Amino acid sequence: MKRPLALLALFYCLGIILSNLLRINFWVIMCIGLTIVFAANLLKKHDYIFFAFVLFATLLIGVLSLKNSCTLSNTHIVNFAYPGAWCSLSGFIDSFPEPKDKHIEFIFRLKEAQIEKYKWRCCGRVLVRTEVRQKLNYGDNLMLIGNLQPPPALVPIRGSYKNFLARKGIYLVMRVKDPRQIILKPGKRGNKLVGYSFWLRSKVEQAFSRFLKSVPAGILSAMVLGQKHNIPWLVNDSMVKAGTVHILVVSGFNVGIVAFMANLLFKIMRIPRRGRIILTLACLVIYCFLTGASNPVVRATIMGIIFLSAYLLKKQPDIYNSLSTAVVFILIINPQQVFDIGFQLSFASVFAIVCLYPKLKKLIRLDTCKIKIWRFFCEGLLVSFSAWLGTLWIIAYNFHIIAPVTVLANVFIVPLASIITLCGFTLAVFGLVCPALANLFSFPVSFLINLLLSLNAAIIKVPFAYFYL
Amino acid sequence: MISLTPEEKKVILFLLCLAFCGLAMSNLIKINSKVEKAIYPQVHLTKVDLNKVSLGELVRLRCVSEKLARRIIEHRDFHQEFASLEELKDIKGIGEYRYERLKEVFFVQ
Repeated sequence: MKRPLALLALFYCLGIILSNLLRINFWVIMCIGLTIVFAANLLKKHDYIFFAFVLFATLLIGVLSLKNSCTLSNTHIVNFAYPGAWCSLSGFIDSFPEPKDKHIEFIFRLKEAQIEKYKWRCCGRVLVRTEVRQKLNYGDNLMLIGNLQPPPALVPIRGSYKNFLARKGIYLVMRVKDPRQIILKPGKRGNKLVGYSFWLRSKVEQAFSRFLKSVPAGILSAMVLGQKHNIPWLVNDSMVKAGTVHILVVSGFNVGIVAFMANLLFKIMRIPRRGRIILTLACLVIYCFLTGASNPVVRATIMGIIFLSAYLLKKQPDIYNSLSTAVVFILIINPQQVFDIGFQLSFASVFAIVCLYPKLKKLIRLDTCKIKIWRFFCEGLLVSFSAWLGTLWIIAYNFHIIAPVTVLANVFIVPLASIITLCGFTLAVFGLVCPALANLFSFPVSFLINLLLSLNAAIIKVPFAYFYL
Repeated sequence: MISLTPEEKKVILFLLCLAFCGLAMSNLIKINSKVEKAIYPQVHLTKVDLNKVSLGELVRLRCVSEKLARRIIEHRDFHQEFASLEELKDIKGIGEYRYERLKEVFFVQ
């Protein structure tokens, strides 16, 4: 077997999907699993049978993982709070407080709760929406007083907002309108590295909005930092229609740029090779936190770490194995992510490119082509076509749209977006270090973003560019 | 002297190009203010002109329901045009909350 890890990851995923359909008790499956492991131990001399048992056991681990993640602790706030309950919660801010239309939104990790006169230690996470314009940061210790409500079930795509939050372990929402409902307590909680990453993110966002107008700043924030809250509705809509909305998400390309920039910086600082790689790995982890550790970034970071580690150990990395490691890593932390559209799109597109692109390239004998520009164009077209084929069914099922223009659009949009991302990173670095130069760099960045928007708007006007199902 | 790889040399060239482009654009804006249109995204790329959008386009955009799109167009036809975005509030079905949402989508020239 060439890639056992890929097969194990596949069975683990299948187990999670199967778990959603099975209505069997956790402990019954646990007993079956242990029996399988015992049988595998007895039959370990027969390689094929042993591996078949291992695969089956992995499938059952997938089933059990999801069931376990859906089981809430006895002390979870959901077990005590009822809709409309007026309660006082103690804990800390567990996410970056994000400004929305008229309010600020953050995730609050609970430590203690009080409903009426009963007070107890509890756990769980609550989504807090506050209209109070108070400066709040990740890790701040707070006491919140207010009503707990279940989240509203509105969202345009398949599966509701309620399910989306449930996948993140959030079952309750609290609205805070009065400043007296927020009491800031002394001390800081949470991970220090995450705290510093969020601080850096806000500094970079400030730099973008200082040197660029609101629209280019919003688009650059999305492309470099993965923060989509300032994207105009029409821009997002036209990118969905052209199938180019993925450029507004932080992906492997960004992680690659960070690795390259960090490596270059450490090289200039004359740090030896081994130290340079370790520091670059640390930068990748910080960038992962900085962008909010969404699924595509975690995937790209893990793959980057594997590739750099292989480089450190002077071994040849395998893309399928690194992709499988990323799948397993994300799903072990939260098995419910398998139902997340971002997770599905990220892995399906990378898998499709890795798997289909070389085959398609061989099929049309692209290597024999001697005109360099034509070959470059065809390669772009094939990568775009592979990714489109891989994600077509997910997009059609969830967003009810099929956009054939995507294949052509990405040939032009992706190189342009890559240059913008590169410029964005340059602007971010110089914005923090040398504002005078950053001001100079802001003009080409703005021009390129304008070009991107104009090109995208023109592409969706092509006949039969997209159609709704 | 530090030895640079071809990739590192490319980075330096990239930064130099960016600086030259920045200088050129900054200078062009000072000479001719029309150049700004080519550099900064114009409002029609990020928002829909409420006085120019057709019913078909409005329906295709899917930002409002078909029923509401008809009401918006009827209101515009009756008053000849929208003088300001605030007029959206006069249309049945657009309250304060929806108006705040639509403000992000439309503009009036």
